[in-house]
Amino acid sequence: MFSAQNLIAVGIAALLTAGLYAVMSYGLAIIYGVMKVINLSHAGFLMLGAFMTLVYFQQWHLDPILGAFVNLPVFFGVGWVVHRVLVRRVVRALPIASLLLLFGVWLVLQNLALAIWGGEDQSIITAYTYKALAVFGFRIPVTRLIVFVVALGVLSILHFALGHTYLGKALRATVQDPTAALLVGIDTERISSWAFGLGTAFAAFAGSLLTLLFSFNPDFGGAFQLKSFTIIVLGGLENLPGVAVGAAILAFAESYAVLFMRASLQNVIAYALLVVALIVMPGGVGQLLGNRS
Amino acid sequence: MVRSARSLLPAPALGFLLASVPFLFPRNITLLNLGFLTFLFVAQGIAWNILGGFAGYVSFGYAAFYGLGAYTTALLWLAGWPPVLTYPLAGFVAAAFSLVVGVPTLRLVGPYFSIATIGVGEAMRILMLNLDRITGGASGLNLPTSVPSKAWFYLVGLMFAIGALAVAAAVRRSRFGLGLLALRMDQEAAEALGVRTALFKNMAHTLSAFIVGACGGLYATYLQFVHPDTVFSFTQSISLVLIALIGGLGTLWGPVLGGVIFYVVQDYLQTSYPTFHLLVYGVLLILILLFEPRGLVGVAGRFRRSPMLPPGPGAAGSGAGEVR
Amino acid sequence: MTPALTLDGVTKRFGGLQAVQDVSLRIAPGGITGLIGPNGAGKTTLFRVIGGSMRPTAGRVVCGEREITGWSSHAICRLGICVTHQIVRPFPDLTVLENALVPAAFGSGGRLPHPPRVEAEEVLEFTGLAPRSDVPASVLTLAERKRLEIARALATRPTILLLDEVLAGLNPTETERAVELVRRIKARGITIVMIEHVMRAVMALSDRVLVLNHGRLIADGLPSEVGNLPEVIEAYLGQPLGAN
Repeated sequence: MFSAQNLIAVGIAALLTAGLYAVMSYGLAIIYGVMKVINLSHAGFLMLGAFMTLVYFQQWHLDPILGAFVNLPVFFGVGWVVHRVLVRRVVRALPIASLLLLFGVWLVLQNLALAIWGGEDQSIITAYTYKALAVFGFRIPVTRLIVFVVALGVLSILHFALGHTYLGKALRATVQDPTAALLVGIDTERISSWAFGLGTAFAAFAGSLLTLLFSFNPDFGGAFQLKSFTIIVLGGLENLPGVAVGAAILAFAESYAVLFMRASLQNVIAYALLVVALIVMPGGVGQLLGNRS
Repeated sequence: MVRSARSLLPAPALGFLLASVPFLFPRNITLLNLGFLTFLFVAQGIAWNILGGFAGYVSFGYAAFYGLGAYTTALLWLAGWPPVLTYPLAGFVAAAFSLVVGVPTLRLVGPYFSIATIGVGEAMRILMLNLDRITGGASGLNLPTSVPSKAWFYLVGLMFAIGALAVAAAVRRSRFGLGLLALRMDQEAAEALGVRTALFKNMAHTLSAFIVGACGGLYATYLQFVHPDTVFSFTQSISLVLIALIGGLGTLWGPVLGGVIFYVVQDYLQTSYPTFHLLVYGVLLILILLFEPRGLVGVAGRFRRSPMLPPGPGAAGSGAGEVR
Repeated sequence: MTPALTLDGVTKRFGGLQAVQDVSLRIAPGGITGLIGPNGAGKTTLFRVIGGSMRPTAGRVVCGEREITGWSSHAICRLGICVTHQIVRPFPDLTVLENALVPAAFGSGGRLPHPPRVEAEEVLEFTGLAPRSDVPASVLTLAERKRLEIARALATRPTILLLDEVLAGLNPTETERAVELVRRIKARGITIVMIEHVMRAVMALSDRVLVLNHGRLIADGLPSEVGNLPEVIEAYLGQPLGAN
């Protein structure tokens, strides 16, 4: 079980998972960074993104990857509206209020989905779902490779956009210091809408990608949401590049832990890491390394 | 030490009325069941509110205490104990666990504490599901069938609810309650004025966990069956959050109102979809946070505005023009 | 005579920033000590270290004979040292009376000769807030909030009171009233250290003045002496043009 071959195979799987985890958590990180709000509706939009992908697949035979890209603008709009209509009104109150509001949104989304699609597991089977590729002597499922490549691609574009567009810079500025951002003329409320839209869009995007790898039902967003939190805490709460680090840590920890414990206990790793990380290192791994982000 | 006892006036009359039900309608099992389950939710909501409302620490993980209480009773009962003797023990086990979890996590600021509790709650559920030799795992545990009558459960449930209300009222009027209120509004300032915030938070947490644990034990006796996915479920945890919030976070009667409405509506809507009630509560929660953070009690209170009413989570902070 | 408060090499670093550097001083019981210095000099940080809401990076804080370095703020409050905040923080939804009740009930460390409620009423009387007792603190004016902040501190029956810019933002009438209040507090025998920018007031009130700049203690003496020291003038105004 602990052969070199096996360990490397686990490592590759972990790497591929890390890519997915990073894309999944990025939306959460952006919303937290800009608005300092813990977005509990992330799970709902993750799930809804998956279900919309199902709809596209069933109605128009749209491949889930394409469905993911369709979801980006659609859910950006949804997120924008949710921010303008709901979130904006409670942001000025205690932080717990926005957390609870978004929790309410999650509840609504989850139960709407239950009402529309029922509680059974759904899955999307494409022509390549069961195929695998041989890469350096390891058999890797095609779906995992595609998800990884797409995730990496989208994150690179995002990274570029954050660095080189006005919006990106305004976003990063607001993350670093909202007051200063206001003072230099950034409309932080508008940026918040953008952030929330982006965050929602990425949640749905990740949800679409997830359909290639897992079956899903209206309850399935919760575990992924918690993992996303673990990742952003590990990476440093206001540290956007840190998300990749956090994603890698969690993915590797989970993948290697399964060698020692039951598979059904795997999620406990994320939860344990979350609680420990929150208590011990609120600044994330960056804090341990002495960085000041 | 501060708030008047006037708010407790309706309690004895209401209690007497409710207690008479099993004697007036001894054969109406549906009503007795409805009553029991409502009282159970009310008791738990009141308990949750001690930490969530008075101290302001919103926990999404109370199912851990409920489940531990339920399993404590279940296992002791299977070992031959009379179930009634197990209830205090169920409470203690839950309380002990709450200390283990609470001491580290209550140091976290509000929203982070909430996220941590989601993690803890879910981790407990998965752990319990996997400890199948003890908990019966995915099949659950079947319990002895010699149980008292529904009327007995109704009355004991009522006692639990009244007991919880009495405890909450006592806390609220005590120095301890004042300290909780102060630390909710401004923890650093309270600490600087001598309030031992860490101690008080943990006391509130442990006290409420005890009550919830005992309720879990009672529930296990009633259902004669325990399963990790029911007693440790996230839905169980969020029910308490919803009860207190919809009823009125931080108020005395809020969780009572919330608990009654929660269960009655759930029971009524059960016929259309199994979790439709959660959809309704989600919408209610959003509306409450946007418009009346003090919940239904606040809506009622609009006709009798009192400066003593504590704020809900949506109330804006004050202080020389600051945002928080 | 044992000093009421002793600081020994107190240093506070935040990452790369030295907010307080190696500050040593002794405060005798009774009397008013002024603590002045330009913005960012580390005065409030020093108060926070003394009061226990921050731990010093190095150094010791001693109250009387007892070392209190690293004690929590609630323990220090109960011991008898109370710090007010620069930005006043009343408990918004508690009444003015309840605001005073909290420190009386929790922070007085057994020093109260009567029940906390009586103490709360007394301090409100002393600070002139008695007519506003039943009003929620959120509706108070700034001047009233400042007085409430002081009232709350007094309700802990402190032996040492650290006032952080109690005069900031007050108009001349309110300032006069506040200065009078500080004098009456001194008359009760409470040792006072006050951070202030209102120079006239702090020089008039203080028996002794300490000056902090860039986290270091740069002057210590009578108000009349300290105000003319070149280091102090330089700290506030910089060097004269053409010097060096």
